[in-house]
Amino acid sequence: MFARSVAPVAAGMARQCMRPCSFRGFASTSFFTDQHEYAVIKDGIATCGITNHAQEQLGDLVYVSLPEAGDELGQGESVSVLESVKAATEMYAPVSGTVVEVNSALESDPGLVNRSPEEEGWFVKIKVSDEAETQGLMQREAYDAFAAAEEH
Amino acid sequence: MQRVLYVRNLGRVTYTEGLRAQEKLQRQHLDELAGKTSEPGRDTLLLCEHHPVYTTGYRTSNYPSQEEERLRKLGAEFYRTNRGGLITYHGPGQLVVYPVLNLGHFRKSMKWYVCQLEKSVIRACQTFGIHAQTSPDTGVWVGDRKICAIGIHGSRFVTTHGFALNCNPDMTWFRHIVPCGIMGKGVTSLSMELGRNIKIQDAISPVVSSLAEQFEISEVRNWDEEVSTERTVEGQEKSSTSSQ
Repeated sequence: MFARSVAPVAAGMARQCMRPCSFRGFASTSFFTDQHEYAVIKDGIATCGITNHAQEQLGDLVYVSLPEAGDELGQGESVSVLESVKAATEMYAPVSGTVVEVNSALESDPGLVNRSPEEEGWFVKIKVSDEAETQGLMQREAYDAFAAAEEH
Repeated sequence: MQRVLYVRNLGRVTYTEGLRAQEKLQRQHLDELAGKTSEPGRDTLLLCEHHPVYTTGYRTSNYPSQEEERLRKLGAEFYRTNRGGLITYHGPGQLVVYPVLNLGHFRKSMKWYVCQLEKSVIRACQTFGIHAQTSPDTGVWVGDRKICAIGIHGSRFVTTHGFALNCNPDMTWFRHIVPCGIMGKGVTSLSMELGRNIKIQDAISPVVSSLAEQFEISEVRNWDEEVSTERTVEGQEKSSTSSQ
């Protein structure tokens, strides 16, 4: 009986996580910007990248520029330039902080962003300086609705 | 949806003057998006022709200073830009179009936008009886010869840079580079394909009309007429005030 009452609650919480779902959702939260960047924050570190919607709208990436560990970023500042189909597009920091790690796999394999934008194709990990900034960002459900509305 | 497209013909300008004009329009769009102004940004086509210049895109490290020197010695300028794409040439006889658009008025997708530009140029070529097409390499092609190069930048879905359609340029300038980094393919122009002289002036109307159709524009306005109309209105207001 206990398992039957827990299962729907867990399922509801899991739906709020970044896919694929796991109990990691209890410890991390995903936020999204209106420029289609995400920040998955856990223990004060935000793993950031672009969403699946964003990579679809860009096309196949041929180049991704990344900052360096130690760089300080403000929320909304340009953090990367992505190139696809002869278009160079800027990506912006979803939250302010210090870059602690960049995904160097993207230097030789920018297509990883297209194949796995919200998992292996992350761009930077940022040590968040002000978690209050996330109040201005969307969570998954609101973002999905926002992205769907932009299609029309 | 009411979509207005402004067209401004800058004429023969330096590359820097073209950049300044784009930056001003881009700033107006970005300020509107950031809520810094209630003045709406204008979706604008800037048309121009440049003095001989080679430009690189964001991946500029492919072209070190020795390369820059070599090309400058030919008598051309050299600029490193923030657009996509690799090296290209602009010069007299080539129609350069910079659409500075807020894609929020259209569709927020760079891939879609570039595709729309390609389709517009293909339409324009069709009016000359030239069958052009796209290929896995961005740009517009006639066979394996590129007739129009494309390179774009997007910032919060506000576009800058654009495309360059060869009308009757001196094609020898292209021999000194691998255009757009694509080896083994040629370049061509409207004049070369038709065997007669097609000037930039002949291409402007077909290109603007094609863009207007492809982007489903409700109204095309001439930027310079708008400016002179505004000045006339200001002048009349001033003179009526002073006469009282």
